[in-house]
Amino acid sequence: MDISGRHEAEGRYEMVCAAVSARISPSFLERIDSVRLIRRQAGSLDINLISDIIIEACTGLTGIIIAESGDLYNLEVWRVKSILGRDFKYPQTLAERTAVQLAHHISLAGHRLIRHGIDNGKESGKERVME
Amino acid sequence: MRSEDKTAVLLIRESPGRAPDPSRMRELFGLAQAAGYRVLAEISQRRSRDHLFQIGRGKIEEAISYHPHRLIFYNPLSPGQVYNIRSQFGVAVLDRFNLILEIFSSRASTREAKLQVELARLSYDAPQVRNALALKKRGEQPGFRGAGAYEESMYHDIRGRMAKIRAELAAREDKGENRRQRRREQGFDLVALAGYTNAGKSTLLNSLTGSAVKAQDQPFTTLSPTTRALEVLGRRVLLTDTVGFIDDLPHFLIKAFRSTLSEISEADLVLLVADISDPIELLRRKLIASHKALWDCDVTSPIVTVLNKSDRLDEREAAMKVEMVGDLAPCPVLASAATGQGLGTLEECLSQRLEPLPEHEIRLPYTSLGLSQLSRLYQSTDLVAVRYEEELIVRLRGRKEALARAGLYKALLE
Repeated sequence: MDISGRHEAEGRYEMVCAAVSARISPSFLERIDSVRLIRRQAGSLDINLISDIIIEACTGLTGIIIAESGDLYNLEVWRVKSILGRDFKYPQTLAERTAVQLAHHISLAGHRLIRHGIDNGKESGKERVME
Repeated sequence: MRSEDKTAVLLIRESPGRAPDPSRMRELFGLAQAAGYRVLAEISQRRSRDHLFQIGRGKIEEAISYHPHRLIFYNPLSPGQVYNIRSQFGVAVLDRFNLILEIFSSRASTREAKLQVELARLSYDAPQVRNALALKKRGEQPGFRGAGAYEESMYHDIRGRMAKIRAELAAREDKGENRRQRRREQGFDLVALAGYTNAGKSTLLNSLTGSAVKAQDQPFTTLSPTTRALEVLGRRVLLTDTVGFIDDLPHFLIKAFRSTLSEISEADLVLLVADISDPIELLRRKLIASHKALWDCDVTSPIVTVLNKSDRLDEREAAMKVEMVGDLAPCPVLASAATGQGLGTLEECLSQRLEPLPEHEIRLPYTSLGLSQLSRLYQSTDLVAVRYEEELIVRLRGRKEALARAGLYKALLE
């Protein structure tokens, strides 16, 4: 999983969390079962909020949660496990890194869509009118 | 200073929140020996980072009591910490990254390796010089005591030199790409040996190919890629030995060695070598570091993990370790480069994991030109059958690059 939008914009945090449920071998992504996007707005940011988003995004998905260490404030794995109450690890193999990268692209695209998508849509609408 | 004159004391600061890891000190010891230092003492301390000296003042005083030429730290040192230790204790210091660079610069024999080491050194120095200039300007005074244009140009000189080196390395990378293309045209599969430093990659290369590449039981014996030919169950393979990986390396060092590491990223198959005789935690740590390095190299080709030095363990112990690294290395090949044990299995695995060569049927004119093309195909492809009719009808297995080289790619398309 990955969270985009963890920076303040206009006084708020507009976050998008992408959870990719995938089966992996050490070198490859074998199969993607599902992709889930969660949107969350907040005035401030802390580990409790991040853990809430992650738990919500991963509800009903079995397996180990994998996320970049930066997303979890570089906390040790045992601390993250106890906060989330789920099995957790930072990416180690090539496939785990690929899966996290995939989640990153999805969450970033979701975040851009929320932040700029409506404006872009208006612009493209204008272009169509002009044509 | 002669190498036997070089003495050092090793220091490591361990975070209080983490379990102590003696393998880090062992690794630092190996690196110090590889750089030619005689280690007088090993000192470790569990504490949070000291912003002045990285480690406690008392530990540095203890280290100095051995009268070493250098203090070598496992933890990275900031420019301020280097300055503080030098000025307050009057001893030269080195951190792990600079120690690795020292080994690299002493072993760099090719022009490419020398440029890569220089680029890594400059990448490390550039922000530090900028930082030092900023600090100097903060307390700038008029007249001769100010930081003048000369010092300002130092940073720009470094940036200029880095740009020149990058351009030269990029040209060499292009040459490397052309060389790989030529080798594929000649019908070779490219296999790279990658893995943590001192895992036995060069010894494995020697065992598989019968060559005598320099191989020693110390880190970073190989710095420049070395390629040797090998025939694996009918497939012609070029096996390339590469520089070893190491944990916690800054990203710019990997970038500096990009042209060397492209031998791994552009290979058709990667043999990831690990030392199974390491304790299980260390073996896992090294495999994770290797996976991270392969990720940084953008490797997309299949990976076969070879657990080398299996002769040092009994069967039960080896099986247990294989199970414990199953999530990092599925179906690894147990081998021993030193005794030759398991090399046959490795060759079988290699031939299975290499992409099967596609089968083609082509027609050649039954003329002297056609026959010379056929003779070239004998060298670069695997001929299945040749029918001598009005034309030569050739069924073969081989790479498209090999057919293109023989000028037959068009014939194939038709």
